[in-house]
Amino acid sequence: MKISKNWLSRYLTHDLTDEQLNHALTFSGIEVEATLEMPQLPEELISAKVVTASPIEGSDHLKLCMVDANDPEGLIQVVCGAANCRSGMMVVLARIGAVLGDLTIKKAKLRGVESFGMLCSEREIGLSDEHGGIIELPSDTPIGVSANELFGLPDTVFELEITPDRSDLLGYIGIARDLSANLGLPLKLPEIKEITAFAKQTLPLKLRIDEPTLCPRYTARLFSDVVIAPSPLWLQVDLIKSGLRPISNVVDITNFVMLEQGHPLHAFDYDKLLKENPDDEGPAVIVRKARPDESFHALNKKDYQLREIDMVIADGQNPSALAGVMGSSGSAISPETTRIVLESAAFNPSSIRRTSYHHKITSDSSYRFERHLSPEKTIVTSLRATELLIDFAQAKVASELIDPYPLVDKAKYVALRPAYFERLIGYPMDVEQIKSYLTRLGCEFIQEGAWHKEALEAEAEIPAVCDAEPTALWFKVPQNRVDLVREVDLIEELSRLDGYDKIPMKTPPSRIMDHHASRIQEVVSRHLVTQGFFEVLNYSFNDPASLQDLGIDPELNTQKLINPQSSNQSIMRVTLLSGLLENIRYNLNHFERDLKLFELARIYPADHETEPLRCTGLLTGNQDETHWKHKTKPLDFSIVKGMLEALVEMLGLQIDSIGEYRAPWLMQANSLAWYVDDEPLLMMGLMDAEVCEKFGIDLGTLDQQLWMIDIDLHKVIELTRNAELTYRDLPRFPAVYRDLSFLVPESEKWLSISECVQSVEPALISSVQLLDQYRGKQVPEGFRSLHIRFKLQDEEKTLTEERIEQIVASVIKSLTKQCKIQMR
Amino acid sequence: MHTQLEELVAKAQESIAACRTPNDILDARAAYLGKKSVLNGLYARLRELAPEERPAFGQLINQARTKIEGLIAAKDKEIKNAVRAQQVQQELDPGMPGWMSPFGSLHPVTIVRKKIEAVFMSMGFEVAQGPEIEDEYHNFDALNTPQDHPSRNLADTFYLQNGKLLRTQTSTVQIRVMEKYKPPIKIISPGRCYRNDKPDPSHSPVFQQVESLWVDKGISMSDLKDTLQNFATAMFGPDVKSRIRPHFFPFTEPSAEMDISCVSCAGEGCRVCKQSGWLEMGGAGMVDPAVLSMVGIDPEIYSGFAFGLGIERIAMLKYNIGDMRILFENDVRMLRQFRGESL
Ligand SMILES: [Zn+2]
Repeated sequence: MKISKNWLSRYLTHDLTDEQLNHALTFSGIEVEATLEMPQLPEELISAKVVTASPIEGSDHLKLCMVDANDPEGLIQVVCGAANCRSGMMVVLARIGAVLGDLTIKKAKLRGVESFGMLCSEREIGLSDEHGGIIELPSDTPIGVSANELFGLPDTVFELEITPDRSDLLGYIGIARDLSANLGLPLKLPEIKEITAFAKQTLPLKLRIDEPTLCPRYTARLFSDVVIAPSPLWLQVDLIKSGLRPISNVVDITNFVMLEQGHPLHAFDYDKLLKENPDDEGPAVIVRKARPDESFHALNKKDYQLREIDMVIADGQNPSALAGVMGSSGSAISPETTRIVLESAAFNPSSIRRTSYHHKITSDSSYRFERHLSPEKTIVTSLRATELLIDFAQAKVASELIDPYPLVDKAKYVALRPAYFERLIGYPMDVEQIKSYLTRLGCEFIQEGAWHKEALEAEAEIPAVCDAEPTALWFKVPQNRVDLVREVDLIEELSRLDGYDKIPMKTPPSRIMDHHASRIQEVVSRHLVTQGFFEVLNYSFNDPASLQDLGIDPELNTQKLINPQSSNQSIMRVTLLSGLLENIRYNLNHFERDLKLFELARIYPADHETEPLRCTGLLTGNQDETHWKHKTKPLDFSIVKGMLEALVEMLGLQIDSIGEYRAPWLMQANSLAWYVDDEPLLMMGLMDAEVCEKFGIDLGTLDQQLWMIDIDLHKVIELTRNAELTYRDLPRFPAVYRDLSFLVPESEKWLSISECVQSVEPALISSVQLLDQYRGKQVPEGFRSLHIRFKLQDEEKTLTEERIEQIVASVIKSLTKQCKIQMR
Repeated sequence: MHTQLEELVAKAQESIAACRTPNDILDARAAYLGKKSVLNGLYARLRELAPEERPAFGQLINQARTKIEGLIAAKDKEIKNAVRAQQVQQELDPGMPGWMSPFGSLHPVTIVRKKIEAVFMSMGFEVAQGPEIEDEYHNFDALNTPQDHPSRNLADTFYLQNGKLLRTQTSTVQIRVMEKYKPPIKIISPGRCYRNDKPDPSHSPVFQQVESLWVDKGISMSDLKDTLQNFATAMFGPDVKSRIRPHFFPFTEPSAEMDISCVSCAGEGCRVCKQSGWLEMGGAGMVDPAVLSMVGIDPEIYSGFAFGLGIERIAMLKYNIGDMRILFENDVRMLRQFRGESL
């Protein structure tokens, strides 16, 4: 539902900005789906009169208009292309100098004819998307009035999503009442006048409700002497801003009242309704179910085959409306209409929904009736429309209100225990505050009484305060609030009006647990397990002799036990490696040759305040289990490196550099670490066979290599804490790949080669892949042959072939210079 | 132009017949029916003909087009059918092992620890961590342990040269959390503990415990029983019963020992439960008011329960492992058995 801020302000005294209003609506439970600002128009936009409009030769649609804008220099010459442009018409003229969005009105020449302005459509002034023709102002509009005044600008239109339970919010007054209750702002409701003047002659009508369960109330009022004409401009503008098209005064008034009151109305042409029996005094309006095989030609010009469960409003013979959904074209208001029947009724919401759903026909009316409207609203709605019909359609009231009301909707009393508010919401609200909020919503405090679970019908006796039941506040609930029938419904309203932000949090948010640390541990250990690793658990002690074997000084940075069970358990461990080496030896001795073991545990260096988490692994033998088809291969540098590279990606680590890593237990040549802030974060390498021998592992005899991986988990956890990932929009232009094959001296390493390629065009070369490495025949000693592929992508445009060739040439040049490559 | 059309159809027929792969079909379609094909070009040349000849020749082109389309469709079907037939015919011994990427397992104690954490987290507990190297205050004093209590002996507790000690239970984390946070506090704290016991089938100098602590307004023994039973049910299944019986701990009052019905004999009595039908799970009780006061929580307003469980013991019960030392051997033949429990 679209609501205009200016229109809303007629019912609510406020000085809220758009943002404040948006916030207030949102926290009343009314979702604002979109906000459309209608800015103030330049003063160069004024009402004007087209004095003459004549076709321009050589153009099939352009017209030369002489426009009267009260200009002292006389008429203004404007060329206009709109089909509806004609002489005598009142229009909106944008004079030279007006700025409309991106468009500045200048002197222009069209087909050789000079134009000194523009005649505007609704779209051009930002009123709606309508662009079929230029705006036609009512003929009595004075010349030279500012467009801002004519169209009530500036304004803001809010598009609202009303939850299905709140049928009271389907009109401006309902929204205003809710905001008034919420913000404590005064409500200004239009005064509804009683009818005093009647037509000379009253008209007869036979009104009957055959289906009271489907239609609990149907009121009709008759009018004569109606003059069908366009509505006044303000009314048209109101409708346009709320998303409806103006048609003519009578239809516009029913729509206006629907938007204002939230309750739909319908007007029939009295003279098109038939009698039920020839000797009836007047035509009939009968609320009944459709007859078998009855069909219906609706206002939308479509035919509907009705079913017996569809509710219709029929005249004496045929359906003249699908009740609450749409009128028939036969009974519709036409320019010739002079006498009308004004319907204001209430219908069963399920019936409306079934009909609307089955026939795939929806309208502003069905949208509202589906959400259950109170029969009590029919009277005020009808009165409001009556007043406007008298004022703007020269209508004369030709009947009393005809009002069969077979199923009277009685108001309800609901009991509310203030203590129950606290039990359900979590904080207390005092009685006066409760009364104040509910009164603002239109509830009426009756008295205190004993609590009763069920609502009582108004006029019933409220149970007296007693010992057996808690004391409750009894409220009479307004009938248009069909959603308020139980104690909890009132409590919801109270909590909503007081603001959900007032609800205290009972338990503070999770604060003790380090969720991040446990997640990272989970990621690392899961990764290793899926790579074939088994987790081991060793005692938390190191043997000083083992440390020495690893080249670690047992006296340095360690914490020693006074009473160890044996001397080889006398140091709180500073490395997980010695335990893992023990585990490797144990398992090799048990004829397990392919081993991948890791431990994830704390270590206890003396200089560390906390006990940092570490994850260390040892692996040897083949990568996979033997398989009949996919042959397994021994672990090697690139397999082990890949395991850690995958982990770096999984953890989203931002690595500064990858480089050499030295440890006394590792072979220097095959060792590597990933560094952040010059400290190694992940480490890997080939275990030194001599060290292994000290731990009883004879790699030479086994003809196996033992690899180590080591992760400073404590640092990994801290580095990844609060790290956030941001999605990048997908490239809009295709990527291009180029391959290069070249010889490069062994001294040049891959990282510098790929860096060299990327540095040629950092913005365009998004990745460099190594496809192949070859040494041997046709490759001279001291060289290797590399095959690389790099990806070129421009975020702004498609790269031209010429540009691509230019980049490839620069890459070759740069590689030749910096990495001494020779192209093959 | 007529001959050209006939030649074209003949040529198309020939090359369609020569198609062998789905890609050949695509090429043929492009060559004979595509935008740049000769056939398509012929439409443009219609105007070279006399106006009265045009409709007839146009129809001929259409006929040729239909014919070529038919030929291509038939050949396409033939090729695809052949590929399918081939797939069906391939000799296959479906019983032969599939290829798996390698995978290992977590250690059973880790597996059980994670299960315990998950059960408690689902009951709203947070997982807290604390140091293993502790001071005497947090391990003994704050837990209301008398100065001359035997557990403070070197024979029971590991001490470090720097005056610190290795915590003998995870209850130390209770104290550290309560020092730092105010109620409501609802935590568990799993981790390594140390006691100077020689390794044997049911003891280890290094072992893991999980501590549970819930302090809030109105926490009672009844909450303790609930939590224990919910835990036992989640860990060992719906038939397991739990009970608490009086005991003594310096830091709880009242104190209790927690038992669950024997998971191996369902309470009938067997070797595992030493014929009692019950298995001891650990100590529990209401946090002693003196402990609460010591960390600045008013025992008149708040109360809480605490209990501690041995993780190795639960793992041994759950997986029917008879000797605790097996857990520290790290034999991959043992570890491999837990691949199905690890992820
Ligand atoms: Zn038993």
